[in-house]
Amino acid sequence: MKAGRFDHINDAELLEKYYNENNQRWIGVLLERYTLLLFGVCMKYLKNEEEAKDAVQQIFLKVLSEVNKYKIDYFKSWLYMVAKNYCLMKLRGNNGRDIKEISKVQIADEETDKQKFIENEKTYIVLEESLKELNDEQKQCVILFYLKKNSYNQISEITGFSIMQVKSYIQNGKRNLKLLLQKKLDNRH
Amino acid sequence: MKENLKDILSNLNPDIDQETLMLYLQGKLSAEKQHEVEKHLMDSDFEGDAVEGLEGLKDKRRLTILVDQLNFELKRKTTKRKSRRDRLQIKPDHTLMIAVIIILLLIVISYFIIQQFLSQG
Repeated sequence: MKAGRFDHINDAELLEKYYNENNQRWIGVLLERYTLLLFGVCMKYLKNEEEAKDAVQQIFLKVLSEVNKYKIDYFKSWLYMVAKNYCLMKLRGNNGRDIKEISKVQIADEETDKQKFIENEKTYIVLEESLKELNDEQKQCVILFYLKKNSYNQISEITGFSIMQVKSYIQNGKRNLKLLLQKKLDNRH
Repeated sequence: MKENLKDILSNLNPDIDQETLMLYLQGKLSAEKQHEVEKHLMDSDFEGDAVEGLEGLKDKRRLTILVDQLNFELKRKTTKRKSRRDRLQIKPDHTLMIAVIIILLLIVISYFIIQQFLSQG
């Protein structure tokens, strides 16, 4: 896992090279960047080292055969979907379903909306108000994580919660905050 | 404060490289770096799922070997396809073609010469 000699080329450029030259070497370089993540995702779902290793190899083959069928603009998102679908199919013992490509337009629109949302000054005032409405555990963990910039371990030491609890409080707190924020902003319009 | 609040909404943190992720899993990062990685994990489903899976691995020191093995297999697959395709492509060798034509011409000429000798005889 040393730094490769193609590190200066981003994913989109590597894909473009592949489409232009039809040389699988470029897909190989691209996939190598995600081997660890793929193995991790397979471990999460399959819970077995050998099965996860086999699954990663099958996902590599799937990508090599599928990548030519679409014009993929967001390789990382697409790869994650391929990996997740493969693991879920394996768990279900179902090999028959095709994997659909995430729509480029959909992702692009979501990113633009998110950016507009983030840049809006009013959003932060409402966000601070919403933060106070979270339950104590979530509020405490969200503040310690996002505002005080502590790691999970540090938060666990400060609060006495387990690492899993800390993660869950932050995740749920973040999700609830977004919901509260959306609701408040909608009411004000 | 506003900058920190921004982190709650933003999903635009830069990607983490595999090496940093590996150090994170082995608990070798400073608290500050750990927080940076965790902030990213909170926003990215791919990395979040992967770390959850990798944390379940008993011996994390073997991860490098495992990944190297998988990359080796990957390289074999991607370069094999290329060389197989290369093998199927017959590249024209001009010298060989000229030699074959000369030999064929010589055979035809020899045939006619022999035929002429035989008919005279």
